[in-house]
Amino acid sequence: MLKSTYQRADAAAPEALPPGWTEHKAPTGHTYYYNASTKESTYKRPSAQPEAPSIVPTYGPNLSDPSVANAYVAQFNPPPAQQSHRGGFGAGRGGRGGYEGRPKPAPIDKPVKKEPIPGHEPWILVYTKYSRRFVYNPVKKTSFWRIPEKLMPGILELDKERIRRKSGNETDPKSAEPETAEAEEATVQRKEETPTAAPEAYDSSEYEEVEVTDDEDEEGHASKRQRTDDAAPEEEEEPVEFTEADIAAQLQAMGTDYGLEPGDYDDGNMADWPEGAEGVEFSEEDAKLLFKDLLDDFRINPFSPWEKLIEEGRIIEDQRYTALPTTRARKECWDEWSREKIAAQKEQRAKQEKKDPRIAYMALLQEKATPKLYWPEFKRKYKKEPPMKDLNLSDKDREKAYRDLVNRLKTSQATRKTELTTMLKSLPLHVLNNRSLADGLPTQLLVDPRYAALEPSIRDGLIEAYVQGLPPPPDNVEDAKAASDEREKREKRTKALEERNRVIDEEKRQRERDIARGKARLRDGERDIEMAMAVDKTGLRRQLEDAA
Amino acid sequence: MPAIRHASKRKPPPEGFSDIEDDLLIFANKMKDAQNKPSPAGPKHQAQWEVFQIAHQRSRYVYDLYYKKEAISKPLYDWLLKNGYADAMLIAKWKKQGYEKLCCLRCIQTKETNFNSTCICRIPRAQMKEGQDIQCFSCGCRGCASSD
Repeated sequence: MLKSTYQRADAAAPEALPPGWTEHKAPTGHTYYYNASTKESTYKRPSAQPEAPSIVPTYGPNLSDPSVANAYVAQFNPPPAQQSHRGGFGAGRGGRGGYEGRPKPAPIDKPVKKEPIPGHEPWILVYTKYSRRFVYNPVKKTSFWRIPEKLMPGILELDKERIRRKSGNETDPKSAEPETAEAEEATVQRKEETPTAAPEAYDSSEYEEVEVTDDEDEEGHASKRQRTDDAAPEEEEEPVEFTEADIAAQLQAMGTDYGLEPGDYDDGNMADWPEGAEGVEFSEEDAKLLFKDLLDDFRINPFSPWEKLIEEGRIIEDQRYTALPTTRARKECWDEWSREKIAAQKEQRAKQEKKDPRIAYMALLQEKATPKLYWPEFKRKYKKEPPMKDLNLSDKDREKAYRDLVNRLKTSQATRKTELTTMLKSLPLHVLNNRSLADGLPTQLLVDPRYAALEPSIRDGLIEAYVQGLPPPPDNVEDAKAASDEREKREKRTKALEERNRVIDEEKRQRERDIARGKARLRDGERDIEMAMAVDKTGLRRQLEDAA
Repeated sequence: MPAIRHASKRKPPPEGFSDIEDDLLIFANKMKDAQNKPSPAGPKHQAQWEVFQIAHQRSRYVYDLYYKKEAISKPLYDWLLKNGYADAMLIAKWKKQGYEKLCCLRCIQTKETNFNSTCICRIPRAQMKEGQDIQCFSCGCRGCASSD
């Protein structure tokens, strides 16, 4: 986390305004000062002395440069609670839309010292107040945070040199602050070379070093130490070819261009960052989740394109927007989020039962339909109503329902009442039962014109009374149905079995009867034979006797 | 001339259209504004750039929803194409390798150029001169090579 560089207005300048000046708040939140007599207004707090030399040095920032001016203004107007949040200011590259015109509160980092890079003559290595550094080419007027490859050896040389010097003369206790990467480098280096190497090993003629303390209270009191004796005296004030304001502008432009804090970009020397620049332990997951929360909170439509989001610019103003460092990362996160969202929505919709479009339409009719209006008139009058625009309901159906309802409305109330009662009675128990009032009336009832035809005041009482007299619903309609089906089948099976048994019994009996009948016939036959056999010879003898 | 169908006799659009309706309406409004604007003072060929851009954006929107996010159904996608919400020919090109970011169909129409070449915007950044900033003649594209 960047340490605050803002001077609190109350702490810095509680001094009274000179006569004629009044203080005002701009819509953007900045305070500005207005002189009614001279009709002059300024962001800068006017002091009794016309020039404020304590803040503005001789090489005061060039206020014609907007970014410098912004930074300058920000000095006087610290935005509230900006210090405790990471990345409250930068809109990043994505922040094009709707964020211009307002000066971004940016950290005020100042160049404090510069060194020519040996071997790459026009190039200068510039150190800033927060121990960041960048290379600058005053001839081409270009600067880079990331040190180009070709300058690397020269800068390495410089670093080595500095460490060697540090180990050589431990004059400043504060210079012993840990610089891990470079210290390691140095230990390697010391093995090879003797630590007592001369400090003026490189071919630089002018070299100005400013010892910087990270303590922000001592800002501006950096002790300057002239290391070389051949530097021109006027160069002490206007150091090299470019002024501090130039570098400040440069820094500002670079910082705001990327919308970053020092921790956000990798300028190659992580060890040089002020402590806390990396922010509180803040994993990438957290950042992503934060950004997704942001999207959720703003009720972003997951189907909308990313460009629309940026154009609207609502989310850009939020602090969580900067949780992710780059626009690309944000876009990826948004992409992921929208996919998840759409999938979830789909799932939810699949679960949810479909709502009949007729319900909303009948509700509208209930409210607005009157026998005084013909259908075309009614249609024209209420064409803006959402149920009238619903594409899932065809116009024909709409017209039919309207005509039906209007015809019913023309009949007497008693007729409509009886019609509704017959309709209620016709509904099966699993549709309408004594729990229907709590769960909501069934769709079948709601879309019926007989339901809509009666005034709600009369209708509701009627339905309530009828419904309360009904038995509870069968446990679960489908289960009940399945169970009854099952029962029916079983009954059928048993019935079939009985039938079969009966048939078999019948057959059996029939067979037994047949057998019995056969036996009886046999017995008869036997008896006949027996009887025939039993014919004795008496008859014949008598015959013979007669004949004889 | 196709028969003009009354709104009441039209079939409703497929499921899911209501989700994207608002965004499509925004595109439609932008397009209308761009078309009705008096042409800018600059060169004549620049007058259509905005129309091309909006058409591209809208096609991209539909393409992303169907192919990248799978957020809309096939019937809806077909319906959108049929009703001119997206340029089917352009989307067909985006599916080909090397044309993933193509800005408009004119830029690959080699027969319309003097030397039978594609538009300047199809040239990868890496092959351009350092710091060369181009805007193509036909649609104002600043570079649509897949490698950019």
